[in-house]
Amino acid sequence: MKKTFLLFLFFGTLVYGYHYDDLLLKAQASIFPKIMLLDKKLKNKLIDGKIIYTVVYDKNDYRSALNVSDFIDENHKGHFDKYEYQVNLVEFTDLSDETQASAIYALNSNQYIEKVAEIAKKKGIIAFAYDISNLKNGFLFSLMLEKSAVLYLNKENLYTQQVDFVESLFQIVKFLNANGR
Amino acid sequence: MKHKIFHNHNRFTLILLLSLNLSDLSAKTGSILESISSEMKHFNTIATKTKQNEHYQPYIISVFQGEKLQKLGVSNLKEALELVPGVDMATDNFNNQTPIFRGSNSLAYGQSKLFIDGVLVNNVFFDAYSEYLSLPIEMIKRVEVARGPGSKTDGVNAYAGSIHVITYAEDFKGFESKDKLVLKYGSHDYSMGGFMKTFKAEDLKLFIDFFYQKDDKKLPAGPDGLSQGVFGPNNIALSKSGNAPLWSKEYSLGINLTYKDFSIKARTLDHTGGSAYGINLALPQNSDRLKLPSHYFEVAYNKQNNNYKVDIKAGFKYDTFDSKAKLTPDNLNLGGVIFTDGIYGEHLSKQRTVYQSSYFKYSGIKNHLITAGYRFMKEETIDMSSKLSNRATGDVELVDYSDTLPFFDVDAKRNTLILSLQDEFQFSSDLSFIYGFNYEQTSYENAGIDPRVSMVYQLDSENIFKTIYSRSHRNASWQEMFTKNNRARVGNTKLKPEYVDAFEVAYIKKYTSDSYFQTNLFYLLNKDQIYNSSTDPEYKNAVDTDIYGFELEYKGNISSVDELYLNYSYVSGKTTIKDEGKRESLPNVAHQLAKGYYIYNLNNALSLSGVAKYVGSKGRVSGDTREKVKAYSTLDTSLNYKNQKYNCTLALSIKNIFNAKVTYASPPNTYIEDYAQERRNFLIAFTKEF
Repeated sequence: MKKTFLLFLFFGTLVYGYHYDDLLLKAQASIFPKIMLLDKKLKNKLIDGKIIYTVVYDKNDYRSALNVSDFIDENHKGHFDKYEYQVNLVEFTDLSDETQASAIYALNSNQYIEKVAEIAKKKGIIAFAYDISNLKNGFLFSLMLEKSAVLYLNKENLYTQQVDFVESLFQIVKFLNANGR
Repeated sequence: MKHKIFHNHNRFTLILLLSLNLSDLSAKTGSILESISSEMKHFNTIATKTKQNEHYQPYIISVFQGEKLQKLGVSNLKEALELVPGVDMATDNFNNQTPIFRGSNSLAYGQSKLFIDGVLVNNVFFDAYSEYLSLPIEMIKRVEVARGPGSKTDGVNAYAGSIHVITYAEDFKGFESKDKLVLKYGSHDYSMGGFMKTFKAEDLKLFIDFFYQKDDKKLPAGPDGLSQGVFGPNNIALSKSGNAPLWSKEYSLGINLTYKDFSIKARTLDHTGGSAYGINLALPQNSDRLKLPSHYFEVAYNKQNNNYKVDIKAGFKYDTFDSKAKLTPDNLNLGGVIFTDGIYGEHLSKQRTVYQSSYFKYSGIKNHLITAGYRFMKEETIDMSSKLSNRATGDVELVDYSDTLPFFDVDAKRNTLILSLQDEFQFSSDLSFIYGFNYEQTSYENAGIDPRVSMVYQLDSENIFKTIYSRSHRNASWQEMFTKNNRARVGNTKLKPEYVDAFEVAYIKKYTSDSYFQTNLFYLLNKDQIYNSSTDPEYKNAVDTDIYGFELEYKGNISSVDELYLNYSYVSGKTTIKDEGKRESLPNVAHQLAKGYYIYNLNNALSLSGVAKYVGSKGRVSGDTREKVKAYSTLDTSLNYKNQKYNCTLALSIKNIFNAKVTYASPPNTYIEDYAQERRNFLIAFTKEF
């Protein structure tokens, strides 16, 4: 039994990973597109007059990415406020500087998260992360369902992006430092 | 001049346009922010109701989703509870299976409470819910298990823990439940069929679920209690070994109706099972049976208006103990009377509970949520009959002894009034408190005040701390108060409630949004626990037990295509039997429990999973000279296929794949080989969603 206990502690300290919470996915799919509308420089990020909301996923998570896309369409029905939008599903391996995106929403990945953050930074667009731990890897926003729903913003990444949010947004976010705390 | 006027006019127009634009932008921004805040509140409400923000709640709780449990090949509620940290299983001669939380009094009933969609379903006769443990997992949307007395629902005290089963009657906008058909087949000729259906029309919603299941399970048992002299030394030779009839047959129909602010919840469960190990500890015949039907009906009014919320409920519940069995073997000699064909018995006790509760919540004081209310319950036995073979002549024909030798008090009744007051105080965004108390009065002994204080501190997004102090009590069960004319159990209406003061501390480390490591420490001071023994069968408040221990829990992934869950618990302590002056280590308790599951997704349709359990050895009560109950490990495996196109799932499970010997402890001087549980068995389950 001691071996089991020690094995337990070993796993507890070493292993991390991901799994998708359906409620959290839908909460993020519902709220993140609206955050984009609070960027005063949104017009600079339109592509052919549309918002391209790019969902980046690992090939094993295609179904989760599709669920996000379907949920956005169910709730927003083709428009974020007055802007027409298109949801683009792109695998991590296919994402590049050439990928069209007004904003990026990344599901989980062991390998490509920093690459996504770099591309978002180069493009000067908002990067949303499913997982809050990715905020320390260069992402800007995540959402957690804690005692209340909390919108996290990594302020270290804020000034590196070509975004200019309305002041009132900062009253509803919780700031995280560079180390993600 | 004209040019100047024109220039001023343009400037004015520009300023006006700019003001209008800014005003328009401000209004739009305001509207977007309001929409975001409203969405966050909506999802937060769902997360709180569905306990998906369990780590931030002021109690120690584990939540298992029904779909995940199905994927693991879990068959029913009992198997789901076996995954909970610190929870072990016990049984008795009626095959009343009882979850034991953190080693708390494994021989008592009523230590924990079961709620189905918010309705308390513990039967009055045993204060247990064994008949609900076979609820098929496909009918369950979610299982929430709060360890310790920290969670109080509408004033109901849960001494060692509370179990909330949420069916698919629950749905939220964007998370509607689908209609479902279920078919299962397995070992012991087990078969099950069921469905659930939702009807919606404007403000009306009707949800119906139904299932029927049966099996012919028989497990080896014996030698029975006669071998230990339960009927005296001259009957020891009549002792038997053989198969205990553990078959079951049941159906259940549940209805949930919602219309605007009104709702109705109703369920009928008709549960019949084999007589297991016998009322009198003599191995029964296969045809001997025990029925434990349970029916409830509740109507509720739930209204929220600005800072006020009111929740008013009224309902009734019927539960019955109905046994028909051959109680002893042929040729039993009882006081010189020979029962050539054995003793037959029919015992019936029917109970009714009527209750009404009203709870008010007020959130008008900043950062406070005040809850106040009451719950009133009237429990009574409304019918009792006791028929036995002729005790005077030994003739097998049944004689009605309801008036002369009742097995139960036909006038058993108890009224209970619980008053509750609580405040949830959000001190800051990182620190929240809950404090309050219940006050309980009964028509027997009053429980008095049960206070509760808990704190949740969120250091940052990764680290959460909880501390909880809670006092709770368990009223004596019907069995302990009103049993009559039973050599092994003598009821005592003067019993006081048992009390527990629980101290709990928890630390949660969140690695990612969905993976975490949790540590819980607990220290439970149990006083006046109800106890009897074979030498002194009258129930008394004779035991104090101190229990301490810890639980570890981990959930995460090793790769992108799997999921891993592990928990380990350690419990220890001392029991003091006050009137015998004895102090001993916790008897009938496994000091170590470890459980876990692993799911590997082979592709989008197919997954392979394993559920492993380790239950440590258990020491005996003092005076019981048998060896410890041996530790055991089991492994269940399941192959799950999900067809997204046709919305159907097929699962094949093999449980206890290494055919481990699993036994639950029996009391001393009864079935000395304990109660053997299932060996290797299989299950096939098919579900189709519409």
